[in-house]
Formats: sequence, C-alpha cells, structure tokens
Amino acid sequence: MRILPGVLAIAIAVTLPFASPVAPASAQGTPGVTADEIRIGALGALTGPGYLYGRLIMNGAEVVFNEVNKTGGVHGRKIVLVREDDRCDAATAIAAAKKLIFQHQVFMLHGGGCSNASIAARPEIEKANVPWVVFASVADEVTLPTAPYIFSTALAASIESAAQLEFAQQQGAKRVAVISMRDAWGRARYNPLMEAFKRKSVTPVADEEMSPDANDATPQVLRLRQANPDAVIIVLYPKAAAVYMRDATKLGFKPTQIGQSALGDLLALREQVAIPNALDRFFTISQVRYTPEDPEMERWRGLVEKYFPGDRLSVYNLMGVASATVVVEVLKRAGKDLTRDRLRDELAKLKDFNTNIYPGVISCTPTDHQCHKTPAFMQLTGDKVKTVGVTTVTR
Amino acid sequence: MLPYLVVSGLTTGSLYALVAMGLVVVYKATSVVNFAHGELFMVGGFLAYTFHVLLKLGYVASLLLAVIAALLLGLVTERIAYRPLMRAPAISLVLAAVGFSFVLKGAARQIWGGLGDYMPFPPVVATPAITLGSIILVPQQLVVLAGALICMGLFTAFFTSTRAGKMLQATAENAKAARLAGIRVERVYAFTWAAGAATGAAAAVLMAPLTFVYPDVGSPLLVKAFAAAVLGGFGSLPGAVLGGFSIGLIENLAGGYLHTSFTDISAFLVIMVVLIVRPTGFFGPRAVRRI
Repeated sequence: MRILPGVLAIAIAVTLPFASPVAPASAQGTPGVTADEIRIGALGALTGPGYLYGRLIMNGAEVVFNEVNKTGGVHGRKIVLVREDDRCDAATAIAAAKKLIFQHQVFMLHGGGCSNASIAARPEIEKANVPWVVFASVADEVTLPTAPYIFSTALAASIESAAQLEFAQQQGAKRVAVISMRDAWGRARYNPLMEAFKRKSVTPVADEEMSPDANDATPQVLRLRQANPDAVIIVLYPKAAAVYMRDATKLGFKPTQIGQSALGDLLALREQVAIPNALDRFFTISQVRYTPEDPEMERWRGLVEKYFPGDRLSVYNLMGVASATVVVEVLKRAGKDLTRDRLRDELAKLKDFNTNIYPGVISCTPTDHQCHKTPAFMQLTGDKVKTVGVTTVTR
Repeated sequence: MLPYLVVSGLTTGSLYALVAMGLVVVYKATSVVNFAHGELFMVGGFLAYTFHVLLKLGYVASLLLAVIAALLLGLVTERIAYRPLMRAPAISLVLAAVGFSFVLKGAARQIWGGLGDYMPFPPVVATPAITLGSIILVPQQLVVLAGALICMGLFTAFFTSTRAGKMLQATAENAKAARLAGIRVERVYAFTWAAGAATGAAAAVLMAPLTFVYPDVGSPLLVKAFAAAVLGGFGSLPGAVLGGFSIGLIENLAGGYLHTSFTDISAFLVIMVVLIVRPTGFFGPRAVRRI
C-alpha cells in the first residue's frame, strides 16, 4: 500500500508537463507549434515612452498575422501573437524574453524595440536557440556578432550612419559636420559614423556634442556655424534635436541638416521646433518607404483602424507590417514540417524579398543577419512628407 | 561669438538663479532642502502650457495664473509633505520631499504627458535674431532675461520691504524668538513653501518659450539650481543669484571656447574648485569654531 503514493507521484510528474495550460502540446515536438497554431512571442515596450517602438509596431505586425489567419493561416496553422512588455528596460527585457521562451513556449520571437533592452535580452535568446526577428532595435550589438538564430529587419545603426554621410555627399556637401549625443544610444551611431568618415577619407569640419537633457544648444550652434559646414549630420534624440533645430533657426544657421530614423516623424518634429520654415533643409531617414498618409497605404490604414480602433496609422505600424510580412514569408518557405532550424535556414537564405513597404529589398546571408540595408530619406514639403531618395549601403 | 555666449549664458543663468532662490528661501526658513522643487518648477511650466497653449490666454496672464496656482501647490506641499513631519528627523523630511516629487511627476505624466511627450511652447516674441556686426541678439532671450530680473527684483523687494517678508526673515533667523515675538511660525513656514514654488513656476514660465515642457524637465534644473545655491553659499539669496548667473555663463563659455562636451561638466568642475578654496561658497557664513 505504501507504493501507491510513489507511483502516483511519478505518474503526475510524467504527465504534468503535458497538462500545463501555458505550455501548448506540440504536434512535431517543436515548441510553440501545434497542428493548427504557431505561437509567436512579441517582445517590446507596451507601456512608457518607448511604446512607439513596441506596442505600435506589434499592432502593425498583428494586423498582418490577422489577415493571414483570415485566409487559413500558414500551412493551415493560425498565428497567435503573445505580447510581453519589456518597458524599454534591460532587466525587464530579460525577464520578458524568458517568460515568452519558457513559460509561453513560443516558437519564435518577433520584436525588440529599444536597443538597450534588446542587447540585454540577447544572451538568453541566443542560449535558447529561439529564432528572433528584430523589428526595430538599431544598435549593432543586437545582431553582431552574428548569432545563428537572430536576424533583423530594422536598419542597423551602422547602416544608418553610413547612409547619412552618403546622403550628405549626394547633396553635394564637401564640408560635413556632426552633432551627436554620446550616451549608449548615441555612441552606437556615432562610432560607426566616424568609421564611415574614415572609410571615405573625410574629416568632419566640426564634431560637437549635446546632452539629451540640454535645454540650450547655443554653444553647439555657434561652434558649428564657425566651421561653416555644407551639411550637419544629426545624431540626437527628438527632444535634443528639436532644441538644436530651434536654436539653429534662431541664429540663422541653415545648412543641410541630416537626421536619422529616431527623427522619422517629421510632422511631430516640426510641431516641437515650432518655428516656421525651420525644417526647410532638413532630411531624415525612414525605415519605410511610405508615409502613413500615402494613398498606397490605404489598405493598411483601414486595417490598423479596424483591428486597433485607437490607432491612427503611423510609421511604427508600417514597420510592424513590413517586418511581419517577412516573418510570414519565411514561415511559408519553411514548409509544413516547421522547425526552428528550418526557419533559421530560410531566413539565412532570404534574398531580394520585396515587402513593398521597406524602401529596398530584404536580403540575409548565413553570415550577415542585418537584412535591411536601404534607408529612405524623407523631407517635409509644406504639410506633406516626401521620400526624396533611397540609399543602399554596401559593405 | 563672445557677446552672444554671454547673453545666452546670462539668460540661462537667470533661470537657474530664480529656481535656486526658491530652493534657498525654503532652506533658510525650514532648514530643509526641498527635493520636490524641480517638480514644482515642472508643474508650473505645465500650468502655463495649459493656460497659454490650451486655453489660449495671454502670456503674462498665463504667467500670473501659473504663479498663483504654484503658490497654492506650495501650500499643499507644505501641508502634505512637510508639516506632518516637522518634528521628524531630517532624513524623513528629505524622503517625503523626494516621494512627493515622484507623485508630482507621475501626475504630470498622467495629465499632460502620459506618453512621455514634451510640449512645445510658442515663442513670446516672434522677431528673428538681430545681427549687429558680430553681435547677435535674440529678442526672445532678452525678454526672458528681463522677465527673470524683474521676478528677482520683486522677490527681493518682498523680502526686504514687506511685513510678511520681514516675518519670514525673522523666522529664518530664529524660529523660537519669532514665536515669542508673536509670529505664527507655522504660517510662515507654509508661506515659505508657497513662495518657493511660486519662484520655481515663474522660472518655468519664462524658460518654456526657450525650450520644452515635459515631465522630466525638473530634475536637471534642480541639479543646476542646487549647484548654484551651493556655489553662492547655501542659505544666501544674493549667493543663489550670483551662483545661477555664474553657472549659466561658465557652461556657455566652456561649451563655446573649449568644446561642447564641457558644457555640462564645466560648472561642476568650477564648483569643486570654489568649494575647495572657499567651502562656504561665495556668501555662505564662515564656519566659526570656538576653542
């Protein structure tokens, strides 16, 4: 009679993992994949100021997944998106990634908004061999050194920096200056920018620094003005950039100014600078080819408003749509017998895939997982944001 | 470059000075450093944003309304965060002030900037910069500088020429003696907090057209104001003014002539040197030790 409790305990221990409500049974033994479902973990900020790079992008991605599900899913499996909030915070991101991988047992991850959070979460994700398609984090450390299962559809900081210099020269600038923040975010862009200068054997005519909290950019503007540059490359957050643009305009300093994707919302920047014509010679990088107002985006505008009634289509939604389009494509290519290794292999050989939203094609290789290399440059003309050029960065 | 750096430095410095004065006046009366002062400044800015941008009131009317509202907020702060702990150890008062600062920041984020937005405040003067040879004058900055000087003048006049100001000084000098002389010390304390908040709000309204209003704007300003007060000799109002102007000037000149990377750290380097040479700051009372 004493044997019975022991047998019961063994039986419970053996059967418990299969009975767990948060660990879905896998038809093929692949976590997160059943006969009728693929579970994808979305990692990013759902709350706080970083929500733009999390929740809004996820909303765009979910619209794509919903549309795919409506037409029967991928090889008969519906995509289920499970979201976890990393609040743009390193420690929270690690916990969120672990929760998605081990508790929700997702098949793959699609996410990564704030670079610091993504960099922190990377070791856990890498260790678990879970495929991760990064949709917004730009720091090169997220994707370099290349990890077998980590790919990015976001423009890497080094690509953006090289494109900024390339664009300045395309505009005929001979004398190029730089104004940058030197925090972790700024350095992730500033260092590759300096390398790009070196590769082109160009020396910046001025190299100024500004703190993210600065409320006055007078010394910076005066020093830049003294250097008389044709173009200024701006590596600043939106708030610091708005302070700088305000002071530059006040002091009549109007060279070509070139921003990056953190300044992608030109209408918001104009509102913050609040001086008419201040952005006349301002260009910035966008990860996507279209502005939300573009008639070509009508379909996505309608769908985003349908699934997320509070949202008004934004560039961030479009980034989600484009990245999710890539995810769906590789899931299709991986076939019915879906495994993480198959998905990794398909991602690694994805070549010239056109989402029609990113400015260029998405191409990965087994050694280069930074798959998006084509920034679009935008300019504000009147009330319209226009694409003025597309630059493909080759390395 | 020099004249503009000086004017710009004095403008920024005048705002540091105004914030520092609010910090010092509370410290003088209550011996408490109000760590919520930066957030009172921030709320003042948001109140002005509400009156001027959202409700379309005139700039001067918005400034006055924001100052009055901040005055009331100062009274509330004193009632919630200071008075119940008046006899508690100093650390409790500091913690209460820090806690209250978080409450104010959270409330501002909830009401005005829930998504971390920073609000642009339209310039008061739309006139473009005037260039006279190598000298550039930005009318907006001159207006702010003049406004800050007027506020400082009014504040000083209040302290030196009004009955309430003299009661405040008496309480700051010796609270027990003030009580014996019939001054209602608790009321004076409350008024001190209100006056401190009002100067912070005035500084915020003056600063808003030069920059932005956002929930985190108070913390960096508090650090600069604190540094100004320390440089002046914590507890001295003229010292706070001189400290504020000095920090504004040093930041701009170091940023302009050395490198922009020195903008933020230069003032603190100078403070370190000054405090090594003269630990009580410009106008702080000399520490006397009886042997």
